[in-house]
Amino acid sequence: MTEKAYEVVHLDELDRFPVDDEGLLWRPVRRRLGITAFGTNAYTAEQGTERVVEEHREQDGHEELYFVASGRATFVLGEEEVDAPAGTFVHAEPGTKRGAVATEPGTTVLAIGAKPGVPHEISAWEEVFVAFSYYRSGDEAKAREHLKWFVAEHDDAWQGHYNLACLESLTKNREGAIKELTRAIELDPAAKEYAVKDEDFDWLRDDPEFPA
Amino acid sequence: MSGTANVNDLALKAGDGPSWAMVRTHFDIQSFGVNAYVAEEPGIRIVAEHDELGEREGGHEELYFVSHGRATFTVNGDEIDAPAGTFVFVRDPAAKRTAIASEVGTTILVAGGKPGEAFSPSPWEHNAQGLVHFANEDYDKAAETYEQFLTEQPGDAGFLYNLACAESLLGRKDSALKHLRESVEAEERFKESAVGDPDFDAIRDDPEFLAITGQTDTGGAGS
Repeated sequence: MTEKAYEVVHLDELDRFPVDDEGLLWRPVRRRLGITAFGTNAYTAEQGTERVVEEHREQDGHEELYFVASGRATFVLGEEEVDAPAGTFVHAEPGTKRGAVATEPGTTVLAIGAKPGVPHEISAWEEVFVAFSYYRSGDEAKAREHLKWFVAEHDDAWQGHYNLACLESLTKNREGAIKELTRAIELDPAAKEYAVKDEDFDWLRDDPEFPA
Repeated sequence: MSGTANVNDLALKAGDGPSWAMVRTHFDIQSFGVNAYVAEEPGIRIVAEHDELGEREGGHEELYFVSHGRATFTVNGDEIDAPAGTFVFVRDPAAKRTAIASEVGTTILVAGGKPGEAFSPSPWEHNAQGLVHFANEDYDKAAETYEQFLTEQPGDAGFLYNLACAESLLGRKDSALKHLRESVEAEERFKESAVGDPDFDAIRDDPEFLAITGQTDTGGAGS
């Protein structure tokens, strides 16, 4: 099969994956178009009060550029709060805390990111977001199936095992959660630090076999 | 450096084309290319026709996003109506792509990178440093910048052309004609660019300009 020379898609045609309790609606662009040289996503807020950028620091060294394509949002960038009407670019270095909440209906924020100095690798969180969006919509089986598929394809990525452990824990599958979290920690000891603070594992924390 | 900027504040007018916001260089982004273009009126060619194979191009896959207004893209001869909210992703570096704005204030964001390789800026971006001086109408500084570039890359047709533009605007007729001739001899496409370029208004009627640009039968570059 040869890949098409180009692809066209409108924002309205992109998937909509709800990914948190603050209304963050992820609209995958890279995933839809098969972009491989950099990451790209859109986030939309229909009501105008929803989160449009998760508050975070980039753990994997990506620098990110956000662009307010329509509407308006309030960004947090480091210790600053920034009013960002349509047309605003916000650039965040990897270690800088960033996040944004829409302040007008119909706000869309585009995010582009990659790690300087290395060829781009597709972020594991994309498929994790897909799986947890299924879980949030009440389809536990589809969420598990998606994460198991991801883990089978990327057995050496700790993120897949870690998030499968979260799902197993949330659905009270003790053995599955312990097995997957143990594997995640084997692959990257950083997984243990996340697990210590992760509420998803609260009910398992006192289990003698719990690895974190 | 983390920071913020508005696309309209970054956009610089360069010639009769769209305004150009040099987003990557503004923020010193090191992991992907990103620029934005704004067309003040309909009919402006907002994305210059190009592929990504030329010496000055980066071999990038490119993502265009129409954030405001509307444009008609042409990719490999296919016409695409692209209202605000449209993404056009050109995967194939060999694909010819261009776009014409069809509404006032049409704004297009473009991001690019080469699959499987760490990002390095496209050679053409070097030009940006000189074009800023044109936008600010500081032609002395523009000429100086392109002279410097030419010491680093002697014979570069694009740098020669822009140096000729600056010199024409400064009234330095002889050196403008000399550098334009060298540019056209290196890359014939600059002949056509010069014919429609208002930067050469001061020397347009000069017989040597007409000869260089192939508008007379009296000989000259390319004949």
